[in-house]
Amino acid sequence: MGTRIEALATAVGGRRLFAPGARRLADTAARQCLERAGRNASEVGLLVNTGLYHDRNMGEPAVASLIQEDIGANPGHPPTAHRGTFSFDLYNGACGVLTALSLLDALLASGTIGLGMVVAGDADPAPRHSRGVWFSPAGGAVLVHRDHTDGGLGPVHLDTFPEHAGLLRSSVRWETRTAAGDGHGHGRNVLTIDRDPAFAEQALECAERSVRAWAEGEGTALATVDLLVAAGPDPDFASALASRLGMESAAVVGPEGPMATAHTAAMIGALEAASLHGWLPASRKALLVSAAAGVTVASALYRA
Amino acid sequence: MTDRETWMALEGGPGSDAPYRSRLAGVGVAIPDRILTTEALMASTRHRTSIDLERLTGIRARHVVSEGEDSLSLAVGAATDCLAHAGTDPAELDVVISASITRYVGGLAMRFEPPLSLAVKEAIGAPGAASFDLSNACAGMLTGVFLLNDLVRQGRIRKGMVVSGEDISGLGANAARQVRSVLSRQLASLTLGDAGAAVVVERAPQGAAGIDLAGFTTLSEHSRLCLAYPARSGPGATMYTRARTIHKVAVEDSLPLLAEVLGRAGIDVGDVDYLIPHQTSARAIRKGTKVIAEQFGGEPKHVVVNVEDYGNTASTTHFLALHRYLEEDRFRPEDRVLLLSFASGLEVGVVLFTVGELAGGHGHAH
Repeated sequence: MGTRIEALATAVGGRRLFAPGARRLADTAARQCLERAGRNASEVGLLVNTGLYHDRNMGEPAVASLIQEDIGANPGHPPTAHRGTFSFDLYNGACGVLTALSLLDALLASGTIGLGMVVAGDADPAPRHSRGVWFSPAGGAVLVHRDHTDGGLGPVHLDTFPEHAGLLRSSVRWETRTAAGDGHGHGRNVLTIDRDPAFAEQALECAERSVRAWAEGEGTALATVDLLVAAGPDPDFASALASRLGMESAAVVGPEGPMATAHTAAMIGALEAASLHGWLPASRKALLVSAAAGVTVASALYRA
Repeated sequence: MTDRETWMALEGGPGSDAPYRSRLAGVGVAIPDRILTTEALMASTRHRTSIDLERLTGIRARHVVSEGEDSLSLAVGAATDCLAHAGTDPAELDVVISASITRYVGGLAMRFEPPLSLAVKEAIGAPGAASFDLSNACAGMLTGVFLLNDLVRQGRIRKGMVVSGEDISGLGANAARQVRSVLSRQLASLTLGDAGAAVVVERAPQGAAGIDLAGFTTLSEHSRLCLAYPARSGPGATMYTRARTIHKVAVEDSLPLLAEVLGRAGIDVGDVDYLIPHQTSARAIRKGTKVIAEQFGGEPKHVVVNVEDYGNTASTTHFLALHRYLEEDRFRPEDRVLLLSFASGLEVGVVLFTVGELAGGHGHAH
């Protein structure tokens, strides 16, 4: 019995004024993902949004509920002749997708749901007013189900290195406008992301430590891994991690093209790239790794 | 559809084949000392209103944060209190979930990265726990319990904590500058109070009482009835709620869902000893109870109303009320308690549990 990836999709935005926001990007990816799987939205039992930087920094309700309504996943009145959809948001930076997949794996295994979807979408919530937005607007969706064959997603291991928590911090706080401001008010709530230049290297080091410790604890020889799928702070995170881990014989893939600079959807981008190359379906043992603020590292094995 | 399939994502009930059973091991709270009465809040409104908020809601006062308190300090305070009641060593926690709507740290700075749960688990001494933040409006804590219940029942974890620090009264302060009448969409913000709450969910010993059933669904056609954003006029946030509509649809749409829950649990509504609904206003709770009684031909033995001195403390309301009743020794071990959540989304969630040994860590026995 294993939880398997049924379909993947991504969507990228633009930087022009009326480019789609985070929710629209997640909507697009979710719809395409369902289409690729030949599924109806009403079949989704749980929808988890892991996108962090929402349109207008909305705090309530969960963005997942808006996406659920947008894609038509049992939005209405319970007729009791059918299973409904439950949705919520989960935040764990770029490790959110793997964290959410571990919860879906559990709920699928218990039979509480029959089909699960993780979506992610981030975009600058207030272009020209935010500071330090380093990621490009992108969304992603991954659909998972459970079947009776061996393999699928293994346990997701989460590690944190709080001594490096200060390397990436973000918050929305009120800033009073100075005389040089635009003069329309007294201030504004502004998103500020402070990303230390050392963050990428530190995240890489934490990922290496975490994976090595986890592999040793699990008795998994990294040499037996034939595919590394990784997403981190830099587009070259996957190849740099493979090099550190000495995984010369494994295929290595990260998010590609415009998804290379995505934020929470980057892991979905990496999985989609691995799938499009044909590596994920052919892999006997794939290692999935993501690294995020915290520093948080998520890792899991996936057997196709 | 099999007989066990339901509209809600439900887990538990008689005949359930999970290898383990979960239970609530302890509940903790952190309540700010400062009190803001409804009278004082309404006296602070910018526009002259004739709103008798206390009569409308039953809320006499709410606790609000002072300088130096925020979402994180409330969460850490509640988590520490919870560990003491649960008799849990923080190092035993496998998972820590922070489930607050507000994530203010260091004043009204809303934290996005790193997750608040990371700071909480470090502060309480649970560095090895997996951690993440969860956001599901006022259903956040109950959603966390739903997830931990699933993980414990399958043996994936032994113990986990859901914690929330709601520094949310600032929405009331912002609303006080805008509200003109009872029709204002910011009226509901005036009911909010601050509090932290935490609960430990753990594997129950063989044969022990615990969580009988947990479930959730999202009726997302109502997802836009309550929306909150960073404020445009000052620090903190602003919330716009169609309060009457949300209450109406919550009650109407939840009736068939409640029937599912009772059916799966194999009980009647009269078998519920204590119903603890989300605490928005005394009037709304009484109206909802009346509809339940009409629909089901009976009602829970006790319906808990805890808004008078706390207001609506968002995701923490169920556990604030539960903690109070535990401290007051109200429960017998055999009592069956139904936590019922209605939240923006529209989220409808339940956790049905038998008190068992939970009372032992609280009140006089503690």
